[in-house]
Amino acid sequence: MTPSSVQPPLAFDGPPDPDLVRIRDLIYQVAGIFHPDTKLRLLFDRCGRRMKELKTASLREYFEHLTLRPTRQTELVALLNEITIGETCFFRSQPQLDALQQVILPKIMEAKAKLPVRRLRIWSAGCSTGEEPYTLSMVLQEESQRRLKDWGIEILATDLNERSLAHAKNAVYGAYSTRHLTAYYRQKYFTAAGEQLQVQPQVCKNVNLSRINLSDDARMTFMKSLDVIFCCNVLIYFDLASKRRVIQHFYNNLLPHGYLFLGLSESLYGVNDDFRLVHLPGATAYIKGNRTPGGK
Amino acid sequence: MTPAPTKDLLLSRMEGLNQIPTIPAVLAPLSRYLELPAEQLDVQKITDMIAQDKSLAAQCLQMANSPLFGRYQKVGSLKSAIVGLGIQRVTDIAMSCGVLNMMPGETGGIDPVAFWEHALGVALVCRNFARKISYPDPGKAYLAGLLHDIGIIVNLWVLPKEFRAAFELGRTDGIPLHEAESSVLGFTHCESGRLLADRWELSADLRQVVSFHHTSYESQEHAGLIALVELSDLLCRMSGLNHGYIERREVNLLDRAGFTVLAQQCPVLKDLDWARLTFELDSYMDEVHSLVHTIYRK
Repeated sequence: MTPSSVQPPLAFDGPPDPDLVRIRDLIYQVAGIFHPDTKLRLLFDRCGRRMKELKTASLREYFEHLTLRPTRQTELVALLNEITIGETCFFRSQPQLDALQQVILPKIMEAKAKLPVRRLRIWSAGCSTGEEPYTLSMVLQEESQRRLKDWGIEILATDLNERSLAHAKNAVYGAYSTRHLTAYYRQKYFTAAGEQLQVQPQVCKNVNLSRINLSDDARMTFMKSLDVIFCCNVLIYFDLASKRRVIQHFYNNLLPHGYLFLGLSESLYGVNDDFRLVHLPGATAYIKGNRTPGGK
Repeated sequence: MTPAPTKDLLLSRMEGLNQIPTIPAVLAPLSRYLELPAEQLDVQKITDMIAQDKSLAAQCLQMANSPLFGRYQKVGSLKSAIVGLGIQRVTDIAMSCGVLNMMPGETGGIDPVAFWEHALGVALVCRNFARKISYPDPGKAYLAGLLHDIGIIVNLWVLPKEFRAAFELGRTDGIPLHEAESSVLGFTHCESGRLLADRWELSADLRQVVSFHHTSYESQEHAGLIALVELSDLLCRMSGLNHGYIERREVNLLDRAGFTVLAQQCPVLKDLDWARLTFELDSYMDEVHSLVHTIYRK
């Protein structure tokens, strides 16, 4: 569906529509998710779906829906849902996985070299229907035949939504979720289940699924000794105060050498000063601010 | 691996070469002319200067019609580009085209397109970055970004095979190119760049950028401009505007010597949204790829 029934399509070889830029900046300010100029077309299409629903004729009027109308909060969530729709799939963010394998794992192994127990703990916070934690499990199983030999691997996968968790436990996925799977991973870690694909038990066994509300301070306090946290496109729905609380928990949950990954175009700017942004090949992550400097 | 030639060897080879790249004939007088106070500058005169080099003029027009340079309505002549975009922007474009045109026939099997994409990418990031932190001269920042790696051109001209070995080491080990050059060649593109910058008689601040963008802590002057290029260069190398391969490492820009220096000069740097600056870089990438491709593969 395109928004053409609502208004003529924008000329994307011209300067960006100022109202679309205002919506982009609003989304960034409120949710921390940024659309560079090259992705404004995508944002426009997503606004278009909402505008059709609301029978809104212009981006300017839609901006008012997002900022001035009594239903602005609901509308913002509806737009964020459109923005993140279809984001859940296996191998969603290859640069993050490459950075994990090529840069972060060696650093974690070095930091833990002298510990008696060789254990890697990763948390997929807001794991939805399970594609992210199972992807991590597959990638780390590959590594366990190489540098992670003799390491124990534990992937905690949590979500608020019971139905999503039930789907994750069932571990059967359709074509859309598995669209980025290479033949190698498809053959090695999946079995056919009718038209769909079933994740093999060897992948599931490292993944510990449970229901956690990230706003539940008591539960959050118990998530300890983590090496890496993935929390992609989850915090965008939180208000600033809740977001700050969750991020502070993440900070406490991570080991001193730990890493926090958000969505590829998601930012903590203005949310927390304790974490530091670091650049990895093709991706960014956050580390604890008091850590020994890295990089040359 | 080839034994590391000394810097003396580099120097003697450079002096022995007649075809060492020269700064395009139009650009030296143009940049001197632009040192004049703005009110004395004449659009027609600038147009005439660029138009002397027909191929350069044609490429300038092509670039002027790219969204990268802020022009959304097609311009048909150099003069209208200068009127529409401003003198500074058109000079940026002319310099970019001029520099992009310099490449030896033999490159030791390396496709130089990635280097030009990196040069143009760093120039654009420098300009954007300079504006965000209220750095006083974004035009200079653009030029510094564009020229910072001219030493790579020298290495490609003078020692193509040896440079290729350094490049392969960088790519295989995922280490920065200047580190690979150090271990294979015994010097880096900063040193060879400095020789070229001297020969071209670039201004003192640009010579410092070319020489010290990987070792800003060694510089005595123009530390702000060097730092700006150092940080923009790192941002590009960690993204898709790298030297043609991915460096497998972690970079914390706030720990860089350049960050401290630049923050003293531009206090707003402390509050800069690095994440947004990084995401914005994505919007240059496609355009940089296509511009460099069309200009270089002329």
